[in-house]
Amino acid sequence: MPVEGPSIGFDFSNYARNQFLGERMNGLPRATSTGTTIVGLKFGGGDTGEEEGICLGADTRATGGPIVADKNCEKIHYLAPHMRCCGAGTAADTEFVTNLISSNLELHAYSQGRPARVVTAMTMLKQYLFRYQGQVGAYLVLGGVDSTGAHLFTIHAHGSTDKLPYVTMGSGSMAAMAVFESSFKQHMTRKDAIDLVARAIRSGIFNDLGSGSNVDVSVITKNGTEMMRNYETPNERGIKSRNYKFRRGTTAWTKESIRSLIVSEEVKMTTGAGKTQDGVLDVPVPIGKGPGGEEGMDVDA
Amino acid sequence: MSSIGTGYDLSVSTYSPDGRLFQVEYANKAVEAAGVAIGLKCTDGVILATERLLHSKLLVKGANRRIQSVDDHIGMATAGLLADGKHLGSRAREEAGSFRENYNDPITVQILADRLSGYTQAYTCYGSVRPFGISTLVAGVDKTGPRLFCIEPSGVHYGYRATAAGKGKALAKTELEKLLGAREGGIGVKEGVDEVARIIHLVHDDNKDKDFELEMTWVCEASGWKHAAVPQELLVEAERKARAALEEGMEED
Amino acid sequence: MAVQFDGGVVIGADTRTTTGAYIANRVTDKLTHIHDRIYCCRSGSAADTQAVADIVHQHAQVYTAIYGHAPPVATVAALFEKMCYENKDQLSAGIIVGGWDPEVGGSVYNIPLGGGIFRQPWAIGGSGSTYVYGYCDATYQEGWNEEQTLQFVKNTLALAMSRDGSSGGCIRMCVITKDKVERHFIPGNELPRFWEGKEVTGVEAVGLNAADMVIA
Repeated sequence: MPVEGPSIGFDFSNYARNQFLGERMNGLPRATSTGTTIVGLKFGGGDTGEEEGICLGADTRATGGPIVADKNCEKIHYLAPHMRCCGAGTAADTEFVTNLISSNLELHAYSQGRPARVVTAMTMLKQYLFRYQGQVGAYLVLGGVDSTGAHLFTIHAHGSTDKLPYVTMGSGSMAAMAVFESSFKQHMTRKDAIDLVARAIRSGIFNDLGSGSNVDVSVITKNGTEMMRNYETPNERGIKSRNYKFRRGTTAWTKESIRSLIVSEEVKMTTGAGKTQDGVLDVPVPIGKGPGGEEGMDVDA
Repeated sequence: MSSIGTGYDLSVSTYSPDGRLFQVEYANKAVEAAGVAIGLKCTDGVILATERLLHSKLLVKGANRRIQSVDDHIGMATAGLLADGKHLGSRAREEAGSFRENYNDPITVQILADRLSGYTQAYTCYGSVRPFGISTLVAGVDKTGPRLFCIEPSGVHYGYRATAAGKGKALAKTELEKLLGAREGGIGVKEGVDEVARIIHLVHDDNKDKDFELEMTWVCEASGWKHAAVPQELLVEAERKARAALEEGMEED
Repeated sequence: MAVQFDGGVVIGADTRTTTGAYIANRVTDKLTHIHDRIYCCRSGSAADTQAVADIVHQHAQVYTAIYGHAPPVATVAALFEKMCYENKDQLSAGIIVGGWDPEVGGSVYNIPLGGGIFRQPWAIGGSGSTYVYGYCDATYQEGWNEEQTLQFVKNTLALAMSRDGSSGGCIRMCVITKDKVERHFIPGNELPRFWEGKEVTGVEAVGLNAADMVIA
C-alpha cells in the first residue's frame, strides 16, 4: 500500500541542469523566506468563567536574504471565520497553502452543512505538506474554535503536527518561547493572553534579526474572531530634527524661458467624407495649469 | 416458464417482463443435472462429500475431483459445470491468499463465502458473460468454529448446518433434516462421515444414473484442523455400512 | 517500548520531540491510538510516523466497518509493515505495535526501520533503546502481572532517557487489557532515579529503585 494521492507534484527532471547552472552562477536563486516570529496560546476555560479561546500573534517583517522585503506584511492568514493560521518559512508557500486550504474548508463546510473543525484543517494541511515531503516550506501555527472547543496546533513543513496549550514558530520561536515558558499560565484572561502574546512577539522582534516591525494579534473565541492588525507598532520611524529641503530662491537664475512641451492638436470627429457630426464636442487638450504647467515641478513634494 | 423463446432469455442483462433473469435460472438447471454434493457441519468439524458420476468406464480412478482446497482450513465442493468450479476454486484461493497477505490472518469461511458470492453475482450483471453453472459449498473451521455456506448461481449465499446441491438435493436435504432433527446437540464428524456416505448412496439411483465414486473431505481434529480427504479405510467402511443400511431399508419396503 | 504480560500489554515512551538541538515539543504523545485496544509507539520522523499511523488507523476503521469486529493486533501490525516496507526508501519510521485481541490476548509486534515484522514478548525502539537492551535482557521475566510490567517499562524508559540526549522529558505509559485502556503520566521531576553520586542527589544513596529493579 504505497502512500497514494493525486498524481501531481514537483517535477525533478531539471534538477541536474539547475545544479549545473547553480555552480556556474553565484549559487542558486533563493525563495523569499520570512524570518519570523509567530506564536499562539490557549486562554480561558477551566472554572474561571473566562470564555475559552485562542490568541495568535505574529511580527510583520518579510526578508529575502539580508534584505527586509516588506516592513509590514500580514502573517496571520484567514482560513475560515473561526480559524486563523500564522505562517513562517517560505512566504509564497504559506500564502498559497493557507489560501488553498481555506478554499477547501469552505467547500467542506458547504458539503457537510456545518463549519469545518480545527482538526479537519490541521489534517488537510498536514496531508498536503506531507505529500510534498517538505518541499512546500510552510511552518504553521493553526488556531481556532469549533463545536468541540478551542484548539491550537503547530504544523511543520514535513507534515508533523503537535497539539499544545502554547506554541511558537519561526526564527524567533526561541525568543518567544522563553517568554511563554516563564510566564504562561493555564486559564488566563483574554487581556492577559493578548498582553503575553504581544510580549512574546516583541521578544522576537527585538532579539531575532529575522523578525521585526510591528505586532499583529488575532483573538478567536466562539463569539467571533478579532483581528488586531498592527496591535503594537514599536518601530515607528522617528522624526528627523533636520531635513534636506532647500528654501525657494536658493538658486539664482539669469534667464527665464517658458515653453509649452505639449504639442497642441485638434481632433475632429468625422463621418464618411470628413463631415462634422451633430452632437459631438471637440475638446482640445488643456495647456497651462496642472503637471508640467505654469509653475513646473516641485522637487520637495 | 411461459416466456421461453420470447427473447428475454438471450442476455443475462435483460429482465423478463415479470422480473426474472432466465439465464440465471438456466444456470440452476445446469446445477440440477450434476451429481449431488453434500456439506455437513458437525460439532467438532465439517464434512464435504460429492457423488462423482463416471461418464466413462475408461476414466482413471479418482480423476476429475469436485472438491478443492482453498486454504489450509477451508475446502469447497461444487455441483454443476466442473470447469466453472475449477475457475471459482482458483478465485477462492486468490482471495484467501490475498487476505492472508494483507492481514497476516487466515480468512474466515464467512468472509470467503461473502467474497465468492460477490464474484458470482458480478457474472449475472453483464451481457458479455454467462452466470456460473454451479452451486458451491464452502466449508471450513476457523476462529469462529465450524462453518458451512452454499453459494448459488445468482450470487446469494446462505449459512447452513447441513445442505446439498445437485441432482436429488431435495431428498438429500430431507435426510439431513431428519438426521439433525434427531440429534439435539448436533453430530460428530466420525458419525457424520457414515451418515453422509449413506445419504449419497441413498440419493444415487443405481438403475437410472451412471456409476459413481464417493469423494469425501473434512476439517476436524483428526485432520489437524486442515482440509483433507477422509482416510481411505474410513471411507471404505462408511460405504460398506451405507450399502448395508440401504439393503436393510429395501427389505423393509 | 512495549511489553506483553498475562492479559494485556504495557506500552510506554518518553515525551521528547527534537528539531536539531531544539526540543520542539517536550510533552509529545508518542503512544498513538489505532483502534479501541490497539496502540503504537512511534519513533523516527514525526511527520512520517504520524502519516503512517493515520493511514493505518483509517484502514483499521474500514476493516471494522467491513468485517464487523476489531482487527486483530497481528493484522494492524501487518498493515504497518506493508506501509513501512513498500515505502522504505522514503520513510524513516520505527514502529512498535501493542494491543489486546480476543484470539491471542496481549501481543507486541516490532516493525523496525526498513520493514519486517517480529512478534516479541518485549520490544524497544528509537534512539535511546540501544542503551537499555542489556537492562531489558537482564531484567525481563515471563509471568509478570500488570504492576510489575508497568514498573519495568518505567525503569527502562528512565534509564534510556538519562543516557540518551535525544530522549527525555516525561514518561507516558498505557496499559491495554480486555477491560481497559489506562493511561499513566510520570512528570519529569518524578522519574525513577538511580545512582548518580551523592554530590548530585544530596543523599548518601538512592535506594528506592534498587529494590524495584529486583522485583521488576
